[in-house]
Amino acid sequence: MSILKVKDLSISFGGLKAVDKLSFEVKENSIYGLIGPNGAGKTTVFNCISRFYTPDEGKINFHPRDNKEYNLLDLKVYEVISKGLVRTFQNVELVKHLSILDNLLIGMHTTTKGGIISQGLKLLNVRKEEKRIRKKAMEVIEFLGLKGLENQLAGSQPYGIQKLVELGRTLVSEPKLIILDEPAAGMNSNETETLSKLIKRIRDEFNITILLVEHDMGLVMNICEEICVINFGKKIAQGTPSEIQNNPAVQEAYLGKGEVSC
Amino acid sequence: MNILKNKPIQYILLGLIIAITPFIFNFQRGTLTMFNTVIIYSIVAIGFNILLGYAGQISLGHAAFMGLGAYISGYLTNMGIPFILSILIAGVIPMIIGLILGLVALRLEGHYLAIATLGFGVTIQQIFKEWTSFTNGYSGMRGQPASIFGFSFRSRESFFVLAIVILVLLSIFAYNLLKSKTGRALIAMRDSEHAAQAMGISLLKYKLIAFSISAFYAGIAGSLYIHLIRFIEPNQWGVELSLNLLAMVVIGGLASIEGSIIGAFFLTVIPDILKEIPMLGEIRNLSTILTGVSLILVIMFLPLGIARINIQIKEKLNNKNTKKTALNQ
Repeated sequence: MSILKVKDLSISFGGLKAVDKLSFEVKENSIYGLIGPNGAGKTTVFNCISRFYTPDEGKINFHPRDNKEYNLLDLKVYEVISKGLVRTFQNVELVKHLSILDNLLIGMHTTTKGGIISQGLKLLNVRKEEKRIRKKAMEVIEFLGLKGLENQLAGSQPYGIQKLVELGRTLVSEPKLIILDEPAAGMNSNETETLSKLIKRIRDEFNITILLVEHDMGLVMNICEEICVINFGKKIAQGTPSEIQNNPAVQEAYLGKGEVSC
Repeated sequence: MNILKNKPIQYILLGLIIAITPFIFNFQRGTLTMFNTVIIYSIVAIGFNILLGYAGQISLGHAAFMGLGAYISGYLTNMGIPFILSILIAGVIPMIIGLILGLVALRLEGHYLAIATLGFGVTIQQIFKEWTSFTNGYSGMRGQPASIFGFSFRSRESFFVLAIVILVLLSIFAYNLLKSKTGRALIAMRDSEHAAQAMGISLLKYKLIAFSISAFYAGIAGSLYIHLIRFIEPNQWGVELSLNLLAMVVIGGLASIEGSIIGAFFLTVIPDILKEIPMLGEIRNLSTILTGVSLILVIMFLPLGIARINIQIKEKLNNKNTKKTALNQ
């Protein structure tokens, strides 16, 4: 059963075709990697799925549960999260002037109840709701090993922690599919190791499907069950990590003609 | 003592203390009028701070909303409609018109939004001048003293109590709102529109909310103004007042309710004190000069505003110390 089906996706900017008739399917509860050299169009694909861009052609269908299917192109960018699809950003987009806890609370924006008047008057239902979301955010903070930091400003944290907070912000929204845009960018090998364990735990403990774009080959080969390689907006290969490693077209796109190092 | 850490309770206690001071000390009528206007400008400034400080949206036309509130409330009470109803309508109609500016803000950002709102303010002011059947044009509109259930707030002391009650209520409302879902969404929108959208925050909805709430606060303050001074004319609601509001919020402290009140106090009371100093008092437009100079000084040396002066000084001292130790090593 596929949770996400991308079919014949195309988008161009000016004369440049950034993504060209790209199709792939992500199986439920899998960790799926989208890789490719710089400028291959990976982030553009992500931006189409999360509706920041509207593709020129193609279909993107999302099945969070059996018998539920959404055509993502019908949704506005801020409606996507409530259907169970949430993303992170390549260059960490946190609310810098709020605490780590508040950043996680923002992840629950769509599920937090209460109108403006009742919030301003701090009525009983708003108090209860604040308690509920705080409790849940603290659970996720504990899961990420950030306990004790919850009241620190998000913007003053080191990069590695900011990345974790962003991941936590996606988790609190109870998604079915998380798309991660270069989760290991700017991390050292130790941090990447911890991150790959964390991503696996998220899939196993929360039953969340993961789709990620990544440059770090170690991470991709280590955790992804299926990989799609794109170059110049076109799919050049698809398969398991070992199939991809031995695929000559991939080796050429990535390394030029030479030996494989990963 | 934990209860004293609760902000709304602090607001109520402080409001109580300030409200009774005119009954203890004998202020001149002029001084009390000035204190009353400080409270009124505090209300506008809080609304404006929600827009500028929390939501990160600029407006250079907010004087128009205050003027509109004043004219509506003045007109309605002159027709015999009770004050309580008038002040509510004087808040709600600017709020609805504020939605229009919110729609504009969805298309324009930064400088362009500033110019568009400036144009909006000038247009409304022109309407105040021309629509004489409603505003009485340049001859000005007279207002009635505020009265609730037969009690007339004719004296400056009693009006001060009324104004403070409204300020405290609106401060608590703003505080609660900003500490819950709406406040977090506004701040998220200000810090990162991408993150906000990805987390399900509709920019349209929250820009409309920010503009309409701030217009509501401005309208309420305008209503209080006409029932205090009992006379208004179109020239009051121009660009100068809009810029003053901006200065209040920046000088007092962006994204701070207390800062809004401090800014309103600073820009209303200090020029008045300076006027009393013999040599300085003779300079014309002293208050405008003061506003400009303090705006520059605050942006250069206290970018977080007067309300957060202690944090900023601490930070400066820490930096100096670290620099010194770095040099010694």
